[in-house]
Amino acid sequence: MESVWLPIFLFAATASLLSVTMVVISYLVGPQRQGAVKEMPYESGMDPIHDARRRFDVRFHLVAIAFLVFDVELLFLYPWAVASQNPAGLEAAVSEGLVSGRGLIFAEVLVFIALLAGGFAYAWRKGVFEWR
Amino acid sequence: MMRLFLEATIKIAILIGGLMTAAAYLVLLERRVAAWVQDRRGPNRVGIPLTKISLFGLGQPLADGLKFIFKEEYTPAHVDRWLYTLAPLSILAAALATFAVIPFGSVIPPIGEGGPIPLVVAPGVDVGMVYVFALSSMAVYGVILGGWASNNKYSFLGGLRSSAQLIAYEIPLSLGILGVVLASGSLRLDTIIDQQAATGVWNILVQPLGFVVFMIAAFAESARLPFDLPEAEQELIGGYHTEYSGMRLLLYLIAEFLHMVTAAFLIAILFLGGWHLWGLTGSGDEITLFTAVLRIVVLTVKVLATIFFMMMVRWSWPRFRFDQLMSLAWKVMLPLGLVNLVAMAFVVEYRQWFAGTGTWAAVALGWVVLIGSSVGMALLAPLSSDNRPRSASEGAARQQIFS
Repeated sequence: MESVWLPIFLFAATASLLSVTMVVISYLVGPQRQGAVKEMPYESGMDPIHDARRRFDVRFHLVAIAFLVFDVELLFLYPWAVASQNPAGLEAAVSEGLVSGRGLIFAEVLVFIALLAGGFAYAWRKGVFEWR
Repeated sequence: MMRLFLEATIKIAILIGGLMTAAAYLVLLERRVAAWVQDRRGPNRVGIPLTKISLFGLGQPLADGLKFIFKEEYTPAHVDRWLYTLAPLSILAAALATFAVIPFGSVIPPIGEGGPIPLVVAPGVDVGMVYVFALSSMAVYGVILGGWASNNKYSFLGGLRSSAQLIAYEIPLSLGILGVVLASGSLRLDTIIDQQAATGVWNILVQPLGFVVFMIAAFAESARLPFDLPEAEQELIGGYHTEYSGMRLLLYLIAEFLHMVTAAFLIAILFLGGWHLWGLTGSGDEITLFTAVLRIVVLTVKVLATIFFMMMVRWSWPRFRFDQLMSLAWKVMLPLGLVNLVAMAFVVEYRQWFAGTGTWAAVALGWVVLIGSSVGMALLAPLSSDNRPRSASEGAARQQIFS
């Protein structure tokens, strides 16, 4: 188990180390000069009039919610997608009598996708996807 | 254990070295392609230092890298210092670490004892595709952290836009992957290639609609030009990296190019058959060194061709407007992805019909689905460039606003 994930941890550690090293080297080598104007936010030469962190459009929030709903529903389809062809998946389950047949699973998945499409049509009618 | 450690270290060294070099030279390639498209010369002067030899500008990436190292590492006063530094670090580390499960070839013949050595850093990870998905989603964190920490209105808007775009296109992306997973019955990238090599039928042939959906979503995820809203220069200066300079800006830029390389690898592996080419590379693990090298070359050529295609698209198409971008994601790509998924589910469920010569029936079905859904979408959806009011009441409301 560990031997499968060891290279991934090694790789992630190397990648993090590499990016930190690049910044540190540049920090040590480059010049350092401060200045009042240099410290200002860049807004095309205008003096900034207030803080940038203000209220923003609620549509971004709607997109986030729609993403959560559909992405989580799609995640439920991944186990079926892997198992439906795999000899160790649905085939084994059917031959061992754990499920009554492939047809039932397929029908259930189609119902699930139909529900997903129904939710999608509802959100569309409600104007969630309108951006204006 | 020792051997595993050694193998992993060597592969990591090769991969990181190759990727960093690739990112540097892709910048040069992109500039040369841009110059070629626009009938200019592009960077062609820098060659070997201290001589007058100019190797088509091949020294340019080295010069750029050196210049970035000697630039000031400046942190403006108004930013959140920790997040400001953390954002580029996390985006580059995640972009590199994605490649831990992406195969860059098939296998090479055994060295010493043991079986053939797979050319992937972490062989045997069964959730490969989910891992790639998880780490490429980390890009959203880098972008929104950078945009928020910068405390600049352009950065903030750029970060918001970018995160909305990335999460919206993740759904068509995952729908496209779902079709491939259905066809091969595994989330491992090497198994997906093996399946295409064994049957000789690349996924693009059976599910062209899935390929189109996945490719467009991959363009949007790597923020390539028709979808480069995050840093639309004319509107947002630099988008989320307006306040960045020096090495931390370079980290963002490298990560951007690495996302493009990831997208090209995924397109080549999932849909274009990976290292497989009919009548040339064969299939299976029992191979000679020559075939192993041949497979690496075939995969590399496919990836480079995809990258070149992405560059040509960049210099051929104007940028989308944000509402067009959003309605493309939700109203076009998502239904098309669902149609492809259902069609693939039928092909897989009744695969005894599609075995042998029936493969051609599956291929024909795929193309019928592509053409049918495109025509249907064109008939149903109004043109996105059509801004006229859809109803009388909407027209009246707009009149009120503008008068």
